Amino acid sequence: MSHLNLGQINELKDLMEDAFEDLINTYVEDSDEKIALLQSAINNKDRHKVAEISHSLKGSSANICAEFLSGLFKQVEDQARAENLTNIEQPFALAQDEYQQVRGELHKLSS
Amino acid sequence: MDAGSSLKILIADDNKSDRMILSAIVKKMGHEVCEAADGLEAVAQFKQALPDIILLDVIMPNMDGQAAALEIKSLAGEDMIPIIFLTSLQDANELAKCLDSGGDDFLTKPYNKIILQAKINAFSRMRKMHHILQRQRDLIRENNEYMVHEQEVAKAVYDNVTHAGCLHLPNLKYLLSPFSVFNGDVLLAARKPSGSMHILLGDFTGHGLPAAIGAMPLAEIFYGMTAKGFAMEDILREINIKLKNILPIGYFCCVCMVNLSFRKEEIEVWMGGLPDFYLYRYDDKRIDKVVSTHLPLGVLSSQAFDGNTQKYSFRKNDKLYMWSDGIVESRNDQGDLFGEERLQDIFNNNVDDTVLFDEIVKTVNEFTGERGKDDDTTLLEVRMVEESEVGEVSIDLSSGMVSGPMDWNMRYTLRGDTLKTFNPMPLMLSILSDVPYLKGFSGQLYTLMAELFSNAFEHGVLALNSGLKQDAKGFAEYYSQREIAIKELKEGTVSFEFDHKPIPGGGRLMIMVTDSGKGFDYKCRQDKNFVNQGYSGRGIPLILSICDNLEYVGNGNQVRVDLSWTAD
Repeated sequence: MSHLNLGQINELKDLMEDAFEDLINTYVEDSDEKIALLQSAINNKDRHKVAEISHSLKGSSANICAEFLSGLFKQVEDQARAENLTNIEQPFALAQDEYQQVRGELHKLSS
Repeated sequence: MDAGSSLKILIADDNKSDRMILSAIVKKMGHEVCEAADGLEAVAQFKQALPDIILLDVIMPNMDGQAAALEIKSLAGEDMIPIIFLTSLQDANELAKCLDSGGDDFLTKPYNKIILQAKINAFSRMRKMHHILQRQRDLIRENNEYMVHEQEVAKAVYDNVTHAGCLHLPNLKYLLSPFSVFNGDVLLAARKPSGSMHILLGDFTGHGLPAAIGAMPLAEIFYGMTAKGFAMEDILREINIKLKNILPIGYFCCVCMVNLSFRKEEIEVWMGGLPDFYLYRYDDKRIDKVVSTHLPLGVLSSQAFDGNTQKYSFRKNDKLYMWSDGIVESRNDQGDLFGEERLQDIFNNNVDDTVLFDEIVKTVNEFTGERGKDDDTTLLEVRMVEESEVGEVSIDLSSGMVSGPMDWNMRYTLRGDTLKTFNPMPLMLSILSDVPYLKGFSGQLYTLMAELFSNAFEHGVLALNSGLKQDAKGFAEYYSQREIAIKELKEGTVSFEFDHKPIPGGGRLMIMVTDSGKGFDYKCRQDKNFVNQGYSGRGIPLILSICDNLEYVGNGNQVRVDLSWTAD
């Protein structure tokens, strides 16, 4: 089973044409950076920052057709907004794993 | 998508990959894109790039979407800049907050191409409609400003025409809206050279410029002719034909014109199409009604026009109340008419006649309440006073000839065949009628000159014996001799000399008629003061009844008459 919505990602590929590779690179660079920032925000117990970054990742992942990943970032965001960082490690760990899968698939698609 | 309507769309999103996707979608639709990475950039881009529609992410660093929306909406002023919030927010309260901050709609992530396109098209249509509305509103405002300006200019011109009036005199009280001319109401008053006063109250059909347009020539004629001493009938006749010529069918002017003579203590009234006026008698507090007896001006042709007037005595402190139909036809909040009865009650209940005018104004205002603000009421009180109270007439030389040609001499000689066939009366009468006062006597002047001319021609040039005309048989004989004499006439002349000079308050006309005949023995007859001797008196007694003085000069082939006049 794919980690991306294949129907949607093909549509997106058609839409972006030559810029598709650029889009993937941008998404990956952006997400790499944000996930690192998210990790340190969790370490610092900065709930506000955690919510903001995971919100952004939720949105961009949805747009890149990674629905499951988007859902995991939503859980992270929801935990942060619920003023509770104690149960955040699990969804964040899952999200990181899922992100690596998505990243791999995206690179295959764009090459 | 509407054909050919390419828009400039600002995309503000801090997430670069999101921005790229959205930008790709929007460009595919054929629109131009500019981008911003946060709220501050969005505001700056808005000022610089002037986008048509803004897609604004809600959560952004530096300045969030809601703050940027507020800022942009306030910068846009009355322009419509649709803002569509981009959000993955699901909470209803959060979404509502987006709209409260000035957003017009939202689009949730992940972006759906079809929905985005539909929204952009919908807002594009809304923007166009907004533009049309704004343009139309501006156009209406411009047109209105233009119209107000035009009315002000028209009013200024009208005021220049009417400033010559004497509405300020102490025997007149009036109520007149400053823009009354655009209600079609006209109120004019002017002194005649004789000291009398002409007053005219007019009510044109309709409102606005069509109503005002006829007021200019009306006022111009009224003032011009009054200053020159023309009689009321002549002025009304002139106004009537002017209005008839210039106003479209169905437009006319209800008019009452009054000639107030201080010396004769009377008013002469011509009234066409206005409600009854009240004539208040100071002595016994009685009210006489003055009613309209004519059609309004501008309706009838000059031939059908009837200039007959009615005369009323007008003694000291008698008052004439004149009004447009605005008073009787004014309505209160319930829509009831003020009516004739209420007006009459004011007069019936009045105790002190010096406040009658104020009582009318007050009663009408109280009746109409707020509705009275339409200012459609014209009211005038004319009081009879001693002439000294209204002062001397100041003659305005700038208006040209004040009372026609006053100081002139003319000689007109008829010879040969022209003498036999041409009737010089209309020509000479027309010249004399240029003196406005003499125009009023054109009938008598005609008789006078006709007599003088036939005497000169028949008894002088043709040498016919007036003694023949003693009986009916002689008359026939006389005319057959006349016919023969005309046929046989080889040469002969009759000349007229007119000499008009101004005298205080009027003028003096001298007419000298000279014929080429032998003359006659006038001395014995002149002594007997030309007592009429049957038919043969050469019409002399008739002439004497018209003029001051008649004398024969020289051999009797010259006759001179003098006629002096003073204007009333």
